Amino acid sequence: MKIIIATMIALIISTSVMATQENYAFETEQQRVDFKRLTAELRCPMCQNQNIADSDAMIAHDMRRKVYQLITQGNNHDQVIDFMKQRYGDFVHYQPPVTNTTIWLWILPFSVLLLGGWILVRRKPVDINNSVSDTDKDHANDQDALIAKAEAMLEKDQ
Amino acid sequence: MINTRFIVPLVVFVTLVFFLYQGLFSDPRERDSQVLAQPMPTFSLPDLMDPSVIHTNKVFIGQVTLLNIWGVWCVTCAIELPYLTELSQQGVRFVGLYYDQDLDPDFGTKTLARVQQEVTDTTNQLGNPFEFNIFDVYRDTSLDLGVTGAPETLLIDQQGVIRVHHIGDINPRVWETKFAPLYDELIAQGVSQ
Repeated sequence: MKIIIATMIALIISTSVMATQENYAFETEQQRVDFKRLTAELRCPMCQNQNIADSDAMIAHDMRRKVYQLITQGNNHDQVIDFMKQRYGDFVHYQPPVTNTTIWLWILPFSVLLLGGWILVRRKPVDINNSVSDTDKDHANDQDALIAKAEAMLEKDQ
Repeated sequence: MINTRFIVPLVVFVTLVFFLYQGLFSDPRERDSQVLAQPMPTFSLPDLMDPSVIHTNKVFIGQVTLLNIWGVWCVTCAIELPYLTELSQQGVRFVGLYYDQDLDPDFGTKTLARVQQEVTDTTNQLGNPFEFNIFDVYRDTSLDLGVTGAPETLLIDQQGVIRVHHIGDINPRVWETKFAPLYDELIAQGVSQ
């Protein structure tokens, strides 16, 4: 039993030791902020739904190194994004530009909203006074009849 | 009135079904390469086997070349090597852009001699299609090419312009459909000039 526990503890410790850290040193605080923001905004081209800060893919490592290099060389946020877009396309940035294709993502929800509004406005308003239908009237008559019958029975009992 | 009531939802439904049905066959990994019809990015990198030799963009001028991005650690590369060797024996010029996975440019401890030994072992066993291998030490050129992993292959024409960017292995089917038509055309142009 002791051996099993010891092995488990050893395994837990060893994995945390294995998780290596990349250490990037920055000259200014601004550079560190830029680096953090950029690695969160850039998408890993290999692993689809992770940003490069999150991903452990080799390409993400390389892209982080490149971002670091570009920042320390004095490039600003937009320049780094452009650099990556030139190589990996719009896909690489989590903020896609409005193009002929992506414009539909903006148009469709608003057009559905407008369509709904139009249908609401166009719908004929319900006239409350004239809305009592024949069936409702029949129903009311039935009730009157029932009450009359009940009252007649009550009188009989007395 | 009764017609539009049924036709509108029907049209919406059919459109939606068509859209989703297409999604079943779309490859989310498929992306347009940014380097197509662009000249090969400027580079100056050592030869893998003899680092005193420096290769530049000149190696692509005047000949139709297939630049294969690979590494011994890459499983799919090992599968395509025999077929690439077969093609190279038919006269297709292959140049390798080699990059190592374990050799971390900043913290790496692996020696160049060991990388060379691994490459020699692999090519002895599976075939060597390459005229030479360019060693992309810092993987900068791979990044410039928009490479996401290995293997990837570029078809570069006589002017050093990238004409095909293929992600994944080359097998007879890929060669016949994606490379051969343009390759033959480029070769024919070169002969007529």
